[in-house]
Amino acid sequence: MGRSLTDFTVFVLKRLLQLIPVLLGITILTFVFTHLSAKNVCNAWFPHADPTTIANCNARVSQPIVNQYWTYLTDLLHGNWGASVQGVAVYPQIAAGVPATLELVLSALFLMIVIGIPLGVIAAQSAGRWGDHLVRIFYLSGWATPTYLGAVLAAVFVAPYFGLPSHGEYATNPPPFPQYTHMSVLDALLAGNLAWTGDAISHLILPAATLAFINMGIATRMTRSSMLEVIPLDYVKSARMKGLSEFWVMYKHALRNSLITTTTVLGLTAGGLLAGTVVIEEVFGWPGVGAFAFTAIGGGGSPPNFDGAIAVVAVFAVGVVVANLIADILYGLLDPRVDWR
Amino acid sequence: MTTRSAPGGPSSAGGASPARRAWGGFVVFLRVLRANPLTLVGFLLVVLLAGAALVMLTVPHLLTPYSVNQLTLDYNQAPSWHHPFGTDGTGLDIYAMVLYAIPIDLAIAFAIAGAALFWGGALGLVAGFWDKPGTLGGALSVVILRVTDIFLSFPSLILALAIAVSLGRGVPQLILAVLLTWWPFYVRLVRGETLAVKHLPYVMAARAAGVTEGRIVLRHVLRNVVEPVVVYFTLDIGTVLVTLSTIGFIGLGVNYPFTPEWGSMISYYQSAGLISAYPWTVLGPGLAIFLTVLAFSLLGDGLRDVLDPRSRRVLAGTGTGGASSTSPSEREGATAEPSLNRSGLPEPIPTASRGVSSP
Amino acid sequence: MSEPVVQIQNLSIDYVIGAGRFRAVSGVSFDVPQGHVVGIVGETGCGKSTLAQAIPRLLPEPPATIGEGSVIFRGTDLVQVPLWKMPRIRGTGINMIFQEPLNSLNPAFRIYDQVAEAIHIRRVRERGNLVVDRREKPPFDYSRRPTATSGEALTRSVLPPVAAEKAARHRTDSDGTIRGEVLDYLRLVRINDPETILNLYPHELSGGMRQRVMIAMALSEKPELLIADEPTSALDVTIQAQVLTLMKELIEEVHTSILFISHDLGVIAETADELGVMYAGKLVEFGPVAELFEHPRHPYTKALLGAAPTRYKSEGPLATIAGNVPNLSHPPSGCRFHPRCPIARPRCTVMPGPPLELVAGASEGHRSACYFPEEVASIP
Repeated sequence: MGRSLTDFTVFVLKRLLQLIPVLLGITILTFVFTHLSAKNVCNAWFPHADPTTIANCNARVSQPIVNQYWTYLTDLLHGNWGASVQGVAVYPQIAAGVPATLELVLSALFLMIVIGIPLGVIAAQSAGRWGDHLVRIFYLSGWATPTYLGAVLAAVFVAPYFGLPSHGEYATNPPPFPQYTHMSVLDALLAGNLAWTGDAISHLILPAATLAFINMGIATRMTRSSMLEVIPLDYVKSARMKGLSEFWVMYKHALRNSLITTTTVLGLTAGGLLAGTVVIEEVFGWPGVGAFAFTAIGGGGSPPNFDGAIAVVAVFAVGVVVANLIADILYGLLDPRVDWR
Repeated sequence: MTTRSAPGGPSSAGGASPARRAWGGFVVFLRVLRANPLTLVGFLLVVLLAGAALVMLTVPHLLTPYSVNQLTLDYNQAPSWHHPFGTDGTGLDIYAMVLYAIPIDLAIAFAIAGAALFWGGALGLVAGFWDKPGTLGGALSVVILRVTDIFLSFPSLILALAIAVSLGRGVPQLILAVLLTWWPFYVRLVRGETLAVKHLPYVMAARAAGVTEGRIVLRHVLRNVVEPVVVYFTLDIGTVLVTLSTIGFIGLGVNYPFTPEWGSMISYYQSAGLISAYPWTVLGPGLAIFLTVLAFSLLGDGLRDVLDPRSRRVLAGTGTGGASSTSPSEREGATAEPSLNRSGLPEPIPTASRGVSSP
Repeated sequence: MSEPVVQIQNLSIDYVIGAGRFRAVSGVSFDVPQGHVVGIVGETGCGKSTLAQAIPRLLPEPPATIGEGSVIFRGTDLVQVPLWKMPRIRGTGINMIFQEPLNSLNPAFRIYDQVAEAIHIRRVRERGNLVVDRREKPPFDYSRRPTATSGEALTRSVLPPVAAEKAARHRTDSDGTIRGEVLDYLRLVRINDPETILNLYPHELSGGMRQRVMIAMALSEKPELLIADEPTSALDVTIQAQVLTLMKELIEEVHTSILFISHDLGVIAETADELGVMYAGKLVEFGPVAELFEHPRHPYTKALLGAAPTRYKSEGPLATIAGNVPNLSHPPSGCRFHPRCPIARPRCTVMPGPPLELVAGASEGHRSACYFPEEVASIP
């Protein structure tokens, strides 16, 4: 059996090595789509720019394609991710946004787990009856709500109703304490300021809940269907025969095994969560990578930021790949039958 | 249910007439609707939408007195009898615009999902069926899978956005941008199903009987891939709609108000600051997109419950019951009515089954 | 004889699937006397497994419904008990060993945790946190067996590895003896070195070992009634023999009441005191094992005995029972065996068929559902 710590380390390292070709592929793909898809890239990307910018751009584009890619790749590795039309460097902006986005996405994931998974269990327990139907209506409503619609409704209708703030991370920006991690709640906690922690949480709750509600369906549905597969199995019956109450049978014995499949699916929602931040962060004024992506791509009529868009697409892709790697590792940790070798 | 449970050899699998097959499919569909009231709701909504789209394409004045982009003299009016969803700042009747957007939104969604299904499905079939290492097909399938993996590591919305920026605004550009990121899902799906079907005994039997590879793919593999693909496609229409309307919301989709499209409508109202000032503007397009996606999701979810062999068991009743091999689920899988016509003989005498004689 | 542990009276179980409905078990009545082993045999699909799982109300309801009848256990009718109260009866009251050792242990938990959970449940109930209506002294108490302590002393004298020691300290937190008791029960099922398997997962054990653990887990709750649902049929033949030997020895040692479901007459002959024969959802014959084997009073029992592999002859065709198992959604009228019965008469097709009655002239407690029990002996 290969489940020792060494085997595990080797497994993780191997998976990290396998990331390299995928990351290269990601850069090639972003490069191809952003450099080659339009006939006149420079005019498409800089519609209202001054002649110098256009000329610079054209000089870059007129080089052989391989040279262009090589320049792009080396710049990428040096943290030289280009700049916007106004000359603001891309890399520091994205780097500054990562903690805030991570905080938002992890909070949404947390809500998806603590709400979505029990809902899946309830649906499975009452399969074909009204409990099942109610849960289905709930998660399909989330599924059927486009992120922007959910965000706009939450910001315009839900926020005033509950008296929740719908913009930014804190009541004042910047807050009156040092921001070490740039994760709003964590920073307030590190400052030991409970009032500001509450403020940070009240700012976080709406965007995170919206993001979670919209992406919850997959977790709930997967939990439901894997629970339905597990419930008829003999070990659930033998757990019942031990005299355990139905609650423990479901949440200890059956769910423990259903979680194995649900974990993989949660990894797959990373793409949806990250894509969701683009709109959510814009609507809620959350200073993360998503909001940066929104403006870089030219959302809301802003001038598109050529370099920023390429970089942010690649960053999101890396996020998805890493999320799937983590899901794979968790899968192995949850399922004792997985051999790391 | 019809095609899958007919592994009676190549002749019986390929022998049913198209009419009979269609009838079988229809019967299955009726059972889907009966099994779950929510599926029926979804189905009715889809029918309603299709009807509305048809009316808007032919005689729009049955449903609204206004033409496309016809300005009224009422600005920023709250919903009323005359303007069910109110009017916007330019005096457009939102209800009329929402209705005119139905055929456009549906057409774009079907075009994207359909083209992705065709292109991705074909690649998936190739990658799944001719995957023997060392052959040309094997090499091809490796290439297809690698490219697919790379595409799948992008959040499709983000990649579509980047492409949409390069392509500029407009309906064809929008379709192309989403399509370029959409096909890999179908490669995965069809390849997986092909791999699962490929090694089933009756496909082997067909091959042993000298049926050509192309014919096997068309007559046997393809038909077994259809069920999961139908389920996925139905669900996918909703996802495509959400994605393309999100692109519209970000401001890269079609150009509202020149072309009515739900996402672009909300984007237009949001960027004009109308939503906070006149919240009802979001009601019409928001409700439209929500109900459309919900309709396809309900229908797809219900179809999945019946067509997906895993969850099929569940419909028959939770689990395998107790009575080992005569559990109701197995029988439900084979025929509508329970029957115990296994050529049964006592288990304690395993060899005795040789001596079975019918009564 | 003392009062029976469980009395099954006229029990019928239906499956409802869509518009279809069929009766998997119809009108079955028998008792499991205190300390006895009652065997139930029948073909696959005769309803014996459904019956076994209906007693602790383990069947998914729906699609299964208990049509009529009662299961009297500790003076209560389990059929009337609401499902949410059943956990109090399961475990320490009725326990069960399942057919598939592959599936009956939870793949996600270590062996120790699974056995300890069972012991923990029993202790909680013994402490009175949950009301257990235990009218008599528990039927056996393994922990007082002298051999257990000596065996313990032998293994404990060997110095355990540091990791195991740590794990042990961690696990004996509140109740220092749970670990010891887990080891005792694993030794009871003849696992020689139980310390080594405590930290393993079920998939790391062989099928026979898993079934032993399963048996240890069931016995560790000291149930009044143990239902064994074909505990050996999913195992390899050699392992089957080992587990069967173990079961026989345990039956001697623990004196618990057992309902033993099997399709294997040989297994039943070696273990059971009473035997019931089921056919197409009905109990067709019930009586003391020896009596039933010597003088079967139902043609189906006779045929089953004739077809048993022990009677294989070196030449000639194998013995079979002609005809097919009936379709339970449309069972034959009257006696369900009549289409395959060599001594069937017109009377046999008349509803409601022969009742399960005491056979005149047979030994005490021998009941048969045949109109002509005395003619069975003359069937070739």
